Amino acid sequence: MKLETIPVEKAVGLKLAHDITEIRPGEFKGAAFRRGHTVCDHDICHLQKLGKNRLYVIELDEDEIHEDEAAAVLARALAGENVFWDEGPREGKIKLKAALDGLLSVNVPALAAFNMVDEVMCATLHTGTLVQRGDLVAATRAIPLVMKRGVIEKAAAIAQAHGGVVSVRPLRRARAGAIITGSEVFHGLIQDRFAPILARKLEALGSSIQEVCYAPDDTSAIRDAILQALGNGCDLLLVTGGMSVDPDDVTRNAIAAAGAQAIHYGSAVLPGAMILTGRIGTVPILGVPACALHHKVTVFDLILPRILAGEEIGKTHLALMGHGGLCRDCPQCTYPHCPFGKGA
Amino acid sequence: MEDFESLLRSSAEAHGHLCPGQVIGVRMAMLGCALIGLDDPRSPAQIKKLIVYVEMDRCAADAVAHVTGAKLGRRSLKFMDYGIMAATFVHLENGLAFRVVSKEEARDLAAVYAPEVAGKAAQQLEAYRRMPDEVLFQLQEVTVPISALDLPGPTRRKTACTRCGQIVRDGKEVETDQGPLCIPCARGAYFIALRDVTVREALSAAPSRSGATAGRP
Repeated sequence: MKLETIPVEKAVGLKLAHDITEIRPGEFKGAAFRRGHTVCDHDICHLQKLGKNRLYVIELDEDEIHEDEAAAVLARALAGENVFWDEGPREGKIKLKAALDGLLSVNVPALAAFNMVDEVMCATLHTGTLVQRGDLVAATRAIPLVMKRGVIEKAAAIAQAHGGVVSVRPLRRARAGAIITGSEVFHGLIQDRFAPILARKLEALGSSIQEVCYAPDDTSAIRDAILQALGNGCDLLLVTGGMSVDPDDVTRNAIAAAGAQAIHYGSAVLPGAMILTGRIGTVPILGVPACALHHKVTVFDLILPRILAGEEIGKTHLALMGHGGLCRDCPQCTYPHCPFGKGA
Repeated sequence: MEDFESLLRSSAEAHGHLCPGQVIGVRMAMLGCALIGLDDPRSPAQIKKLIVYVEMDRCAADAVAHVTGAKLGRRSLKFMDYGIMAATFVHLENGLAFRVVSKEEARDLAAVYAPEVAGKAAQQLEAYRRMPDEVLFQLQEVTVPISALDLPGPTRRKTACTRCGQIVRDGKEVETDQGPLCIPCARGAYFIALRDVTVREALSAAPSRSGATAGRP
């Protein structure tokens, strides 16, 4: 690289080698001048106000790459399914956006491996974040103004070996069967509050409850209700209550009796330690503990979007959720803008 | 070539244990062979086409030798004592050669690739299974000038050391003003000679092993 520095007052006619950022606190942050802009007389004072008393004139060697071109190579490699960018590099940086509403999936190991390459970076939202079409999900840049092409290719190869680093998976529109267990509800001693809560949470994700069925604390009755919902075409089964340790808590047995496979009981999340995950055939089934009645957000809210995005939640997922899986039970809940569920 | 898991299993058995180095070595060899166009390096059709240079005498070296079938005694395995987790795979017919180096940062990435696995070695082992080649290895296309005297096949030349009379094979003698010398005479050796002894004398003085009488054939 041939790098020459010239005083700004002698720069009239020069094409800028990179974007020049202007920050006016609380007012503006962005490129005051774009790369390639030809400096003219009245720019000099503006540049000096930005603290630019000297400018670079750069000639690249064949094996070198400018930050803008580098950012484009990196962005192409990082963007997985349903991720795009609609603005060229600005200030050497490219912002990656969601192409549709869905669940952001970040390949965390791939991201770490990418960022282990010197002089490149990519920052993302947490994996598992619900995003809308057009939302910013990640940004990448080459850190120096000019760098070796080989380094960029290496970083891009790492991202591509994983099929990209960030992707967005659409949520399917499930027609859920809600099986509300508990003899006290079944016999009308107390009013059910579970069904409306489930309905609200599903609707917020674009799904709905197809049918609600009530069953007493009886293994056969609950099993039959599950099988009936399945037979009626429900493609998500939510069985509430009876997930604890009392003798009346038979939901787990009923789910097993209904033929569920890949059953895992217990998560490293509070609230929600007593959740059950499994599936009957290809239909996911969840045993939702009563904590979902009392807490605004529980493990159910963490895993429901993942299930709707097609993920099969198993033992490892539930174990890894322990990090960041402790709700602080704030008087004013700010979820999802809080650390709950962000560690895995 | 067999699949990765089968090769890993047989390599670990041959080596004596399963360890992260075995995973690295098996993957290194599979990649190296694929790069030079050998899909079954141990087969009779391919075994004479390959020379492998290993740069470490660690677990991975055994795995590389196991997967490729390269052997010191066949002159298809060369040991370069660099202390580097790397191996170079040379195709003797098409001339392709690649040096595959295990990247140090892969060790730091083990925790993110296998966060659910406890214990450093177990975590590395699982993580090295999961990492793509791009993360695990650095790759160089290389050329390896190989002397005809280092190729597999019959002994090309025998020379007697003019100082001690030892026969030296395959051009490993050192030319000096006094004529050809063996390496120990010319440069010194890895051992220090104390005295010459007879086999009978040495065996009779050997430490006895659990009741066996030393020195009796």
